Amino acid sequence: MANFSIDVNGESRQVNVDPDTPMLWVLRDELNLKGTKFGCGIAQCGACTIHLNGEAVRSCSTPISAIGNASITTIEGLSENGSHPVQEAWMEEDVPQCGYCQAGQIMSASAMLSKIPNPTEADIHQNMSGNICRCGTYPRIKKAIMRAAEKGGNNE
Amino acid sequence: MSNQLTTNRRTFLKLSGTAGGGLILGFNLYGCATLPSDPLFTALEINAFILINGDGTAIIRAKNPDIGQGVKTSLPMILAEELDLPWEKVIVEQAELDSRMGSQFAGGSTGVKTNYDNLRKAGAAVRDVLVRAAANQWNVPITEIKTEDGFVISGRKKLHYGHLAEAAAQLEVNENPPLKDPQDFKIIGKSKSDVDLQKIVTGQPLFGLDQEIDGMVYATVLKPDVFGAKLRSFDATEALKIEGIIDVFEIEGMDNPTRMVDGVAIVADKLWTAFKAKKLVKANWSNPRGYIASNRQLMADFKKGINAKGEVLREDGNVDSEFRSNNNQIEATYDVPFVSHSQMEPMNFIADVRENEIDLTGPTQTPGSAAGLANMITGIPRENIKVKFTRIGGGFGRRLGNDYASEAVFISHKLKRPVKLVWNRENDFLGDYYRPAGCYHFKAAMEGSKLTALDVNICTTSRYLYRGSSPAHGTEAFPDQQPAGMVPNFRIAYTPLLTNIPVGALRTPGMNATTFAYQCFMDELAQNAGKDPIDFQLEMIGEEDRDMPYSDHGGPSYNTTRLRGVINRVRQESGWDQPAKDGVSRGFAGQMVFGTYVACVVDVRNANGKIKVDQVHIAADCGRVINPIGAEAQIQGGVTDAISAALYESLELDRGKPKAQNFDQYQKLRMKDSPDVHVHLTDSNEQPQGLGEPSYPILFPALVNAVSRSIGKRVRELPLKKHGLV
Repeated sequence: MANFSIDVNGESRQVNVDPDTPMLWVLRDELNLKGTKFGCGIAQCGACTIHLNGEAVRSCSTPISAIGNASITTIEGLSENGSHPVQEAWMEEDVPQCGYCQAGQIMSASAMLSKIPNPTEADIHQNMSGNICRCGTYPRIKKAIMRAAEKGGNNE
Repeated sequence: MSNQLTTNRRTFLKLSGTAGGGLILGFNLYGCATLPSDPLFTALEINAFILINGDGTAIIRAKNPDIGQGVKTSLPMILAEELDLPWEKVIVEQAELDSRMGSQFAGGSTGVKTNYDNLRKAGAAVRDVLVRAAANQWNVPITEIKTEDGFVISGRKKLHYGHLAEAAAQLEVNENPPLKDPQDFKIIGKSKSDVDLQKIVTGQPLFGLDQEIDGMVYATVLKPDVFGAKLRSFDATEALKIEGIIDVFEIEGMDNPTRMVDGVAIVADKLWTAFKAKKLVKANWSNPRGYIASNRQLMADFKKGINAKGEVLREDGNVDSEFRSNNNQIEATYDVPFVSHSQMEPMNFIADVRENEIDLTGPTQTPGSAAGLANMITGIPRENIKVKFTRIGGGFGRRLGNDYASEAVFISHKLKRPVKLVWNRENDFLGDYYRPAGCYHFKAAMEGSKLTALDVNICTTSRYLYRGSSPAHGTEAFPDQQPAGMVPNFRIAYTPLLTNIPVGALRTPGMNATTFAYQCFMDELAQNAGKDPIDFQLEMIGEEDRDMPYSDHGGPSYNTTRLRGVINRVRQESGWDQPAKDGVSRGFAGQMVFGTYVACVVDVRNANGKIKVDQVHIAADCGRVINPIGAEAQIQGGVTDAISAALYESLELDRGKPKAQNFDQYQKLRMKDSPDVHVHLTDSNEQPQGLGEPSYPILFPALVNAVSRSIGKRVRELPLKKHGLV
């Protein structure tokens, strides 16, 4: 066990965990931020996607010991009350079915739009293909991303 | 949730009546002349489904588990419609397991179709007592009272539901309340976003995996990598040295492998600790006798199966005699693999087993059966077992079984403390109950373009046989499936195969395999006869309006006019009769599935022998549509899910062990390969049917027929990946 001080959603948080603990479990079980989801544990499904200094990373495969001073954003910190353009677009398109993968999808989409404000279909395919949606909401995810881009989805 | 509390400040009894059942209160509070604009109570239960708040809003309980099929939205819409309350004034809450609500489960696309009439009545019954309460209070006849926008109105008198709820609660509920004329529907048929939408996109804790209870510890399980292996012994010495480990012990499987199988429980103060310790547990397993070691072995068993004399399920005319006299014969054999559910939320459940009480919380499609298993494991009576069910991160049939809930109960019972059990993804592949694999042999005789005889032999790893129920062909072979009844000489026979591979229900159980085989074979026959595949099937269906007897789920009959309706619709919408774009090949399939009529056209491109799905058109007639935006989502989702299975998915075995135990080896469809899916819903006033499943099976044949046309060779075995086509 070791003490860590990490920057999560703009706040400094202290935890005492094994250094090899993936950020996924630090967020969920130490900081009670349950929005980040567990899907595969090997960075294949994207359900656990968070932002590390604005980059989309898979928190299931990122140990806390690798975080250092980087700032972490989770779905809970993306906006207050779901007002990020990507979240709004997701609601306008009624994207989710079961909803389990959607936090990860939204984190991947918002990271992409912060770098590529007007993505092509190829950009979307490339940046979103690390996230599995088992319910098959891909057509609506694509529409929501296009909608968010039109409204200026890089609202960060 | 705060609004779940009954916090009325007046003293009255909390009510508990069934929909349509009696409501009795011993005394009457009403009679005051002036009314507060917002009476000071919340959540006054009028019946099991509807609770009125003093401010005129209502809490509506969503009775069934939501696995992504949208019933947490669509079922309350039906109640709100007849309650005649604007949707904006409705607060939807997930019900708990509650015997007053009737059966509470998610399966078979039955949520809307089996609840539509009852929920209309339950909603109307509440509106009816509100109207009668107003009639009493105003001393006017009921005929002079109407409801509108959540108000009860008579002439210039107008009160919202909150004002009348307490008086209404004292009236006896009318079992057959007047229902709305569907022409007056304001909510049913209008798109409503998922009621949890805002919570989902902001990451709020809705799912089983997100729940916690006081004092809980975490558990995970070690499972054998050959299905059905029994635990001989284990050594947890190293695991127990890890800081935070609480206990490691054997889970004894139950006799029926669908209820709970052997494993080793690892319990710790943190989940990550339990996951780490699991890797240090050494277990010895004894493999089951005659286990399936390889896919090749399985195929050999199937070939024996379809050549065996199976049980004849239906026989019309005389197939053998037609085959003797007609030499124009075509034969083909189709194969489908075991397919994983791979729902995104891994299995988890919370159990708190106390001396004579149990609290269960978790994602299950069948909460009642979870309670039943908890009773079997602990002996604690059913009435002392409470079940809260959460939003579910995908079901697809996997959570019809509660083996993981059993494990949580077993562990909590043994430890005498609350436990949250969580599987990792590898557990999920080792502990899945796969879509049964099967083999489908067809022999047909043709006269010109007319099918005169069809002999069908099916052999599958029956999930009915696996779980010990009968008949073995249940949901594996469907005697009345199209084209049965349209061919003068027809026979279908079935042979079950029992293996160690766990099998269960997966989205349109059985139908997702038979539809692939039948509708691909119809395409072969059309091609052989030189007919357009749609024309071929339309001629077989005929122009008469007929109700075809259908003894399985979706019956008792299906209608040929409605079937032709979706076929013609997709033909038109997809531009079937216009030449396809360069490099595009098309495939078609159409059939009734679980009561809903579906017809599908798939466009594929072939780039150097690799198939790309270009777009999908699908027409569906599910009767009256409750929530169009949700309906479209279900149809798109089913199609997209099926593309994933058709392209990539099969359980591959290596010395009995699944080669794929996570998504690095088990490929799923991703954004880059997901096509546009154009949905064409029939505008209908017929009784509503389900939509969670019917689009899934019809995609397989439509896609594979397009692929066969594209590569100039029949593909008769799934997935396409096996043929190097993706």
